[in-house]
Amino acid sequence: MKFSKLFLIALSASLFISCSNDEEESNKPEGVYDNGFFILNEGSQAEGTVSFLSNDLITFEKDVYGPANNNDIPGGYLQNIFFNGDNAYIISGGSNVINVVNRYTFKLVDKIDSGLVNPRYGVVKNGKAYVTNANEYAWGGAWDTEGNTDDFVAVINLKTNKAETPIPLNGTGNRIIEENGKLYITDPNNSDKLLIVNIATKSLETPVTIGSNADSIEEEDGILYILRGPYGSRSEIVKVKLSDKSVSKITFPETLDGAGFMDIEDDKIYYTVGSSVYAINDNATAASTTPIVTSPAGYVYGFAVNDNRIYIADGVFTKDGQAYIYNLNGTFLKELTTGIGSNGFYFND
Amino acid sequence: MTLKKRFAFCFLLLCQIILAQQDTITKLKEVIVSDKNLKNFSNTQSVQRLSDSIINKNEALLTDLLNFNSTLYFKEYGRGMLSTVSLRGTTSSQTAVIWNGININSQMNGSTDFNTISGSDYNSVSVKAGGGSVIYGSGAIGGTVHLNNDLEFYNCFENNLKLDYGSFNTIGINYKTTISNKKWSAQIGFSNNSSTNDYKYVNKYNWKGEQRWNRNGEYTIFTMNANLGYKLNSKNTLKLYSQTSNTDRNTSLVTETETPSKYVNGFNRNLLEYEGNFGKLNTNFKTAYIFENYQYYADNTTNNYTYGKTESLIAKADIGYTFFKATQINGVLDYSKTTGTGSGFGTNTREINAASLLVKQDISASWKNEFGLRKEFTDNYKSPVLFSLGSSYQFGKLYLLKLNLSRNFRIPTFNDLYWEEGGNRDLKPESSYQAEVGNVFTFSNITLTQNFYYIKIKDLLQWIPGKNGIWSPQNTDKVNSYGAETLFSWKKQVGKNIFTVNATYAHTISENSDTKKQLFFVPFDKATAGISYSRNKISAYYQFLYNGFVYTRADNNPEEIINDYTVSNIGIDYDFRFLESFKLGFQVLNLFNEAYESLENRPMPGRNFNMYLILKF
Repeated sequence: MKFSKLFLIALSASLFISCSNDEEESNKPEGVYDNGFFILNEGSQAEGTVSFLSNDLITFEKDVYGPANNNDIPGGYLQNIFFNGDNAYIISGGSNVINVVNRYTFKLVDKIDSGLVNPRYGVVKNGKAYVTNANEYAWGGAWDTEGNTDDFVAVINLKTNKAETPIPLNGTGNRIIEENGKLYITDPNNSDKLLIVNIATKSLETPVTIGSNADSIEEEDGILYILRGPYGSRSEIVKVKLSDKSVSKITFPETLDGAGFMDIEDDKIYYTVGSSVYAINDNATAASTTPIVTSPAGYVYGFAVNDNRIYIADGVFTKDGQAYIYNLNGTFLKELTTGIGSNGFYFND
Repeated sequence: MTLKKRFAFCFLLLCQIILAQQDTITKLKEVIVSDKNLKNFSNTQSVQRLSDSIINKNEALLTDLLNFNSTLYFKEYGRGMLSTVSLRGTTSSQTAVIWNGININSQMNGSTDFNTISGSDYNSVSVKAGGGSVIYGSGAIGGTVHLNNDLEFYNCFENNLKLDYGSFNTIGINYKTTISNKKWSAQIGFSNNSSTNDYKYVNKYNWKGEQRWNRNGEYTIFTMNANLGYKLNSKNTLKLYSQTSNTDRNTSLVTETETPSKYVNGFNRNLLEYEGNFGKLNTNFKTAYIFENYQYYADNTTNNYTYGKTESLIAKADIGYTFFKATQINGVLDYSKTTGTGSGFGTNTREINAASLLVKQDISASWKNEFGLRKEFTDNYKSPVLFSLGSSYQFGKLYLLKLNLSRNFRIPTFNDLYWEEGGNRDLKPESSYQAEVGNVFTFSNITLTQNFYYIKIKDLLQWIPGKNGIWSPQNTDKVNSYGAETLFSWKKQVGKNIFTVNATYAHTISENSDTKKQLFFVPFDKATAGISYSRNKISAYYQFLYNGFVYTRADNNPEEIINDYTVSNIGIDYDFRFLESFKLGFQVLNLFNEAYESLENRPMPGRNFNMYLILKF
């Protein structure tokens, strides 16, 4: 009890400092892990890790969580990191835990360990986190329908780190973004719909049919961009206009079947197919078939474009994987040895 | 004394051959067991036999017996949980488990879980190191583990009851009755082993500083056995072996908060065997029906599960003829049909026909040669021609030399071939060449065996991510495995005092031939030792296990290892002789409270205790 109170005090104190700093727009480092980014390494059922690299590409730490926390384990199958205030929230899908750490020191603040069943991705709006939960997986059993309808969004009060009443999705949900009080959710495995949740009423709105295997989702100027790469048919970028939910598409040529990830940066859409990265303007009507860069990654498992750099994670599961960093022209900048199953980049600035 | 009289009538019914005296001696010598082929065609390889007296001194499940008494290396997902084996640096599906001569590795995943088998259901357990695919088929690359129920034909009525009670509410009951005469032989029994298994993790605390313990680790393993033999006459014998088992296990949590799951699996095995001996001609026909199934409950608070089951029908005809006195030739035809149904792989059937030829030549009492050839015919995969070639020569009394060369394989499993999505129907079997040299030295009370081997394995099956992120098995790696095994046994009797020492040591190099890295989860070193002392009715023993470190990553990252560990057990028992045998024993397991694990984040228990009572009447 005393322990957690102490943390609460520390937490509120750091929040205060953080706010005042924001107002001053200071760029002074807040801690060791300011001005850099984290690489999430999914790991095993038992244990994943988080790596860190500074923005100047000089200071690299392969494992930041364990050493900062008496070798505590953040849990297995680390899936996603989201930020709020001074905290970073590391979602462990395998252990049904969200580790709350100070984003600058990576010291553990709390663990959210109730109300989660196979948590996936999270966003924050007004002091509450909204986290998709796969709940039971439908793995071909007689309860397929159940596994495919029981996913939910956990609602977590970030002041108390306790889960509130969840929002059932009556379908499957994976990646999630928030825009104007609404949650937009895609799922690559068992859904051909974009799910929409109204946060205020905690209810589902009419979903939009976008096609199967939709995963990466981004919002830019009132339009949702969703990448889908179905097996055996053409990859697409599906655009959904938020105002009227109208749908338009950029259909890729067959050579770009099996598109993987997408990120949007400075009005440009970056996407991956195999180990290659392509880019088009966000108002383009056709896909580019000329890669900016083809990385040595055998299995691109994480991808991001941020501040004039392209980040690619090679998901390796029998040994440490690699991360590759390029500038926007595809010029190689840095290669890192990360951890097991590196799956994402999270920028701490 | 009065008790003795009271039970005197029992003695009238007892077996003429009383092995009770030998019971107190821990034997670890190589002897030949009853499985016909293990007896006839294993002279040129190393066979280590663990008798029931050794089985009784170990914890109930087969993992403990073999971990503390053989060179087999085990990976356990916590005490009582899934346990897989590696022998001579090979994978868990490259050691075949043979039940009364029939290969029982899972058709679904290719391996056997050694924590679903109770050692005391068998008369003996043997470990045969080295290739054996010519006789035992798929998976006999690193070696074979033999579970034997020997039927004997003499006047006997004997009951065996073993009761165990130990830490973590671990309860074992094993009952076996043997009724036989010159015509009939029957062994009927059951075993039940269960535990709440809620042990504390030695020196492990969670982030709040609370002691961590093994959550969701409960298990129950129930097995029934019935083995019958009938001698029609001196030339014709019928045998029926039957076994049914069910294992109901929760799966230990690696973190307190994860979703608790449950794994239930079972099997039913029936084997009807006819044996005819007509002088130079001998025949053996076998028909077997084997059923295995599992249900996995990803969340054990619900009734939702994934499942898989296979049914196999096996028929085998083995006809042997002895030419002259020295040469015996056996022709074997076998057929198996397996139908599997599962939530992951639909319904599929696979049929395999095989023909093999075995030749044994005893040139003299000291020089023996063996030769075997096998070819399988199936639509499912291209099958290599398998062979085995061996020779053994006894130089005087002191030294026995064994040489063996073989080609062995492991066929793709139902999961590999048919898994949706990702199953690959174009897989080749994993195949290997193996050469070995065995040296057996015997002087007075000491037997020392040293085996050197070299195994070249290609087309190792591995699940790797393919296009669209779908994982699929591929024939990828090549592995070279080589090393040395040493088995030592010593026995000395001074007056009424009997001392025995048994030890094993294996040094194993098993490397990917492209990267030259040691395979992960293959220790360079493993050693076991057992020391026992007995005098009259009292017996005391000490067991020791050293398992060297293992890499957990393919790149042999020195920071990612599982540390070596040393575990010791100590036990004492006293035979009150109320009945033929009334033995009360007490054991301290993990005597020095070593914090150890064989897999990451799967801690094993610290010091714990077990009591047992063995009754024979």
